[in-house]
Amino acid sequence: MRILGISAHYHDSAAALLIDGMPICAVQEERLSRRKNDAAFPLSAIEWCLEQGHLEPEQLDAVVFYEKPMLKFDRILTIALRGFPRTWRSFPRAMQNALGGKLWVKGIIASRLGVRSDRILFCEHHQSHAATAFLTAPVQRAAILTADGVGEWATLTLGRGDIDDDGQARIGISRELRFPHSLGMLYSTFTAYLGFPVNEGEYKVMGLAAYGRPAFEDLLWRIVRRTPDGGIALDLSYFDYHESARRGWSRKLVDALGPPRDPRDPIDLSTPEGQRCADVAASVQRVVEEILVDLARQLQRETGLPDLCLGGGVALNGVANARILRESGFSNLYVPPAPGDAGCAIGAALYADRIHFGRRHGAFPDHPYWGPVVDASELAHIAAEDGFEAHRLTEPELLPRIAEELAQGRIVGWMQGACELGPRALGNRSILAAPHDASMREHLNRSIKYREEFRPFAPAVPIELADRYFELPRGGARLARFMSGVFPVRTEWRERLAAVTHVDGTARVQTVDPSMAPRFHALLHAYGARTGIPVLLNTSFNLSGEPIVNRAVEGYSTFRRSDIDLLVAGDALVTKRRSAQTLPEVA
Amino acid sequence: MHPVPSPVDRLLKPLHRWIWADAGRRARKLLRFAETEADGGRDLARAAELTRDPVLRRLFFRHAGDEQRHADLFARRGRELLAAATADRGFEANWLAPGERGLDDLRVEDEADETLLAFLHLSEQAAAGRFAAYAEVLDADPQTRALFARILEDEAFHMTYTRKQLARLSPKKQGLRLWQARAARIWSAYLRLASAVAGVLGRLLLLVQYFLLLPPFALLAKRAARSEPVGFAPARRPMPMKSQY
Repeated sequence: MRILGISAHYHDSAAALLIDGMPICAVQEERLSRRKNDAAFPLSAIEWCLEQGHLEPEQLDAVVFYEKPMLKFDRILTIALRGFPRTWRSFPRAMQNALGGKLWVKGIIASRLGVRSDRILFCEHHQSHAATAFLTAPVQRAAILTADGVGEWATLTLGRGDIDDDGQARIGISRELRFPHSLGMLYSTFTAYLGFPVNEGEYKVMGLAAYGRPAFEDLLWRIVRRTPDGGIALDLSYFDYHESARRGWSRKLVDALGPPRDPRDPIDLSTPEGQRCADVAASVQRVVEEILVDLARQLQRETGLPDLCLGGGVALNGVANARILRESGFSNLYVPPAPGDAGCAIGAALYADRIHFGRRHGAFPDHPYWGPVVDASELAHIAAEDGFEAHRLTEPELLPRIAEELAQGRIVGWMQGACELGPRALGNRSILAAPHDASMREHLNRSIKYREEFRPFAPAVPIELADRYFELPRGGARLARFMSGVFPVRTEWRERLAAVTHVDGTARVQTVDPSMAPRFHALLHAYGARTGIPVLLNTSFNLSGEPIVNRAVEGYSTFRRSDIDLLVAGDALVTKRRSAQTLPEVA
Repeated sequence: MHPVPSPVDRLLKPLHRWIWADAGRRARKLLRFAETEADGGRDLARAAELTRDPVLRRLFFRHAGDEQRHADLFARRGRELLAAATADRGFEANWLAPGERGLDDLRVEDEADETLLAFLHLSEQAAAGRFAAYAEVLDADPQTRALFARILEDEAFHMTYTRKQLARLSPKKQGLRLWQARAARIWSAYLRLASAVAGVLGRLLLLVQYFLLLPPFALLAKRAARSEPVGFAPARRPMPMKSQY
């Protein structure tokens, strides 16, 4: 059975292909279109997936969209009606958006792919999230918690998943919070209030929070009320996102917190205004953590299960994830590498395969590498054409060489195998550097990533050595597999891991398993053999405002436009040294 | 090639003088220019990634680097002005006094190198003319004026190389390519305008419906909302996957 999963139209479109229950490939549209967070119908991603499966669209047994468009429209219309007449500004825009395309997904899929409309299926948004979290995790049964901004109506769901001995899977959602009461919208509203782009700047809020005190926590608890059944209800008088297309917060929030930050004003933490921003970030982060931990605790008590699968964009909050693991009573927390909407392409396809068609569940490969494979010869060819020194090296030559260069403070663009699905670079499309000196973090932020100084970098460490450098709770090494948890760096190592230790002494660590990323694991050991510390700074291979690189030529382009010293794609190595043969001056 | 203001920009000189006189507005405009230059730099980097011509690749990378540097320069100066200015967050007149338009919504991956070069040449020429006009009205702010002068030197190089490379790749049809690019720019401006007008008209029609048709339904929706429980709700019964509801 051949099933194509699609997520599209809101942010981060993607496509994924399952054949006989096993994933063949998955890719975000942005990696191919090169437009960051591309929300367009993912035609390039679909074409690439079909090419990988050697399929024509008419050979697909099902195409599954990751949410139910009519149900979503029902919510948009109902909210507009409830807010009448205050919604007069947002209504025309919302209707134009929906009627102009988003509502007619079935027709779009049928016409653009040429598939029969009776083969097009729709999975509820949070069911897609739940399926991504549960059906990709190495568990037979687990509690499931999903949370994001909003899907159709649901914004947060609690439930459980079971796979019986015959391989029959079941996902049961027991209860849900509904729009406009949403943890994801709360966090996103504060992201925008702090001057960061929504659906992208949430990491910045999390990073900024460590510099502040939760000075506004009391106010936040007045804004977010806990309900007797353990849920939440937002005081909507502080928000406008349900009634306005322009901004998420109301005048009342500004009166209580002060003016929002203009996105063009830099954050200077030495000023009272910069500190106020950090305090706001710390307050919202604290409240969201407390609520998530409490909800997880309720779920653990109800299900009595040791494992929790977490999905939805909120699951990208690594600080909250680590607290859930430590404090909720669950022994293991599974967060997929793409818990947000992009991962729903896989989730929707899996849901259709296992639950709609009732096919037997088979273990899902436990890695994030589902995208296009890098072509080393492409890099060698272009670099040679442009007059750069390019070498093809064997692994025994390559790894010690790269380890030596890293030890000498050089910055390496590292591309191996297939591109990751999801927002994290997990060793196949990474920028690597020595993690020891804080000046490296400043250099990377200033000259390579062109981003705010307060943003931390993540360390990667061989899984078997992680505990030596980081305080991992039980289940922490698993949570760190896809860089989904933030954990304390052991005090005695903080100075020697200064470039990856955040101001609060933590790091969003990646534990590298040799079965998942053998060459990256071997590189860490080679670096350890050279320096005594097998830890590397690992950040996504992209420049500010661009998606993570996919093909070798895109890595090369980033290498050319930044202070990256060496570029590795597969076994090809390029340095910034010019070879004797260079192009003549032309203009 | 020495950039000079276009006749239209000369005509608009009093307006430009008024727009650029206020330090707050000047800061905002420079910060906006910085964003546009950074976007343009990304488009050019994409063009460099896609071309098979090593000479063009090298020039596009250099051009992308220039655009990024311009973005940094504009941003730095914009922030300096912003810090010193009493806040003016009002009208920026971006339609009448824009920055660089880059590839003008052209999809880099769909176009041949010659087409890109023709577009780039026209775009750089227009931007250089505008920047020259802005520099002329900045007597009171020599630093910003010097910034434009510095950027204009790069713009002159960009205009030159795009023209020369167009001549190299399309020696017999370079004039035609430029006319095609001019026509395409006019067409894309028309499409932008038409879609803006259609958007306004559509919004107006929806607004009329909103106030005429929705009130009774709004009343019902508000009444139904009052009876909704606060906090958790039982999960919806799963609907068949063929259903869009």
